[in-house]
Amino acid sequence: MIVEAKSLHKRFRDVVAVESLDFQVQAGECYGLVGPNGAGKTTTMKMVYCLNRPTSGELRVFGLDVNREQRRIKARLGVVPQENNLDPDLSTCRNLQVYARYFGMAKQESLEKCRELLEFMELGDRAGSPIPALSGGMKRRLVIARALVNSPDLLILDEPTTGLDPQVRHLIWDRLLDLKEHGITLILTTHYMEEAQKLCDRVMIMDRSRAVDEGSPVRLIRQHVSPYVLELRADRSLAADIQARFRGLEHQTSGQNLYFYGDSPSEFDDLLSTYPDMERLLRPSSLEDVFLKLTGREIRR
Amino acid sequence: MSEGIISITPAFARVWKRNAQVYLTLWKFNIFPALAEPVLFIFVFGLGIGSYIDEMEGVPYLDFVAPGILAIAAIMQATFECTYGSYFRMRMQNTFEGIISTPISAGEVGMAEIVWGATRGLVTSSLVLLLMVAIGVFDSWTTLLLPLITFLAAFNFAAIGIIVTSRIAQMEYFHFYFAGFVLPAQFLCGTFFPVSRFPDAVQVIAWIIPLTSFVDIMRSLTLDRVSASLAPELLWALGSTLVLTEIAVRSMHRRLVE
Ligand SMILES: Nc1ncnc2c1ncn2[C@@H]1O[C@H](COP(=O)(O)OP(=O)(O)OP(=O)(O)O)[C@@H](O)[C@H]1O
Ligand SMILES: [Mg+2]
Repeated sequence: MIVEAKSLHKRFRDVVAVESLDFQVQAGECYGLVGPNGAGKTTTMKMVYCLNRPTSGELRVFGLDVNREQRRIKARLGVVPQENNLDPDLSTCRNLQVYARYFGMAKQESLEKCRELLEFMELGDRAGSPIPALSGGMKRRLVIARALVNSPDLLILDEPTTGLDPQVRHLIWDRLLDLKEHGITLILTTHYMEEAQKLCDRVMIMDRSRAVDEGSPVRLIRQHVSPYVLELRADRSLAADIQARFRGLEHQTSGQNLYFYGDSPSEFDDLLSTYPDMERLLRPSSLEDVFLKLTGREIRR
Repeated sequence: MSEGIISITPAFARVWKRNAQVYLTLWKFNIFPALAEPVLFIFVFGLGIGSYIDEMEGVPYLDFVAPGILAIAAIMQATFECTYGSYFRMRMQNTFEGIISTPISAGEVGMAEIVWGATRGLVTSSLVLLLMVAIGVFDSWTTLLLPLITFLAAFNFAAIGIIVTSRIAQMEYFHFYFAGFVLPAQFLCGTFFPVSRFPDAVQVIAWIIPLTSFVDIMRSLTLDRVSASLAPELLWALGSTLVLTEIAVRSMHRRLVE
């Protein structure tokens, strides 16, 4: 067991950030945390990497208590925080070397590691660049490279791909799957359900500081939503008209969008032939549908 | 697990090295501006105003004021480094957050910042000291002990700086700290004239601020007036530094690990 949390609570003065959380992360798996803004994902991760202290409950990482063995835990962790915190006073390669020194690595060893990691994240030609000269995607890749300097057993990634272009995102996915193949355990948060579905063996959906459900993406989809979704765009009067006519179909509305759920595409045949000209999308259901169903469609304050 | 000085391991030196590395790449920008104020003080007070003063406490005014200028150079450098410098690294650059995600503890970051601030104070004041020796201010062998005391004085103010830095919600609070404490301390603590000129109440305040003790110890060294009566001052200088460092380290821990 890499991480084990039992009735974990975290309160910041009067704000409850995490409540009654129980979860376990197994060696070698990729474990995802998803949930609306403010759900408590970052706080949960920061407790794992010992930057936030649990208010109550039990949290063990590598079997070690986070309240007592921070140093031993952190020595075996790699951390990619939500906000980049590269050292802007140091060049790209120096960032890695200085970081390696924090782990007690010798100079020669860290230089070799730095070269290897820059290659791995395809930053090999940027070794001498100052940080402000790097693009957003390069900075993010550098933060990931930095998290690997100590060859961690557990890599914690807080929204590793937010704000990045598809190319960089695919590169990062590739690398993370690579790392997983080499036996590194991953904990990841993301707002892209496609990413969670692609990378994670198991996902915990959080909302308002609590866990709503947990399981493999396939199981969550099967359990919570029908296999097919039909999305329609319709103004209010048309939507009301459709809803009145097809009362029998399970559906949800969100703004101008109507979502119908069904066990097979043929269930929508009647509806589609009644409104042949409407903008539509028929697709298999995804983790995103589960997410929206479990956490609702309204914006969090 | 304790979070005070007792929990500090030598790993803090790795953070000190990080600061030194950055400093050395920017040394031109760091060294010369820092010397401007002390050099100006030597000219304005020591040579300028000093030429109107025959003697102070039985010695030429430049000899009297030199240890004060030296102490100010040390504490000001340490203060700037551990207020604006540390705050910038902590809040604007999030450098500390990155560091404490490694085996380095938050207390060690605090300690490294203090020792680094003291180091900068030592470097600046030592350059001023060389300048003073060059223009013939000091001639006693006890001058060799001065860097030790300037380092301690800088250490003391670095610790106070970290206490302030780790407790304020926004950078603007430094204005209060500078106007309310640092600036008055520069002039109240027997730097430019003896504390005995003040009313009793002010004298008490002046002696509470450890700078007064540091300056007096330094002056006793340069004027060859070392005696047993310095013992309480030395005790206060060391004791307050220790206590302030303990508070600073704990305070930084509380700030960084929520
Ligand atoms: N240092 C802090 N002080 C006070 N409240 C905090 C602090 N950190 C987080 N919170 C609060 O705790 C709650 C959970 O925040 P957290 O950052 O863990 O959410 P998140 O799931 O990571 O959100 P996002 O998707 O926006 O990153 C929020 O209500 C937030 O305002
Ligand atoms: Mg977050």
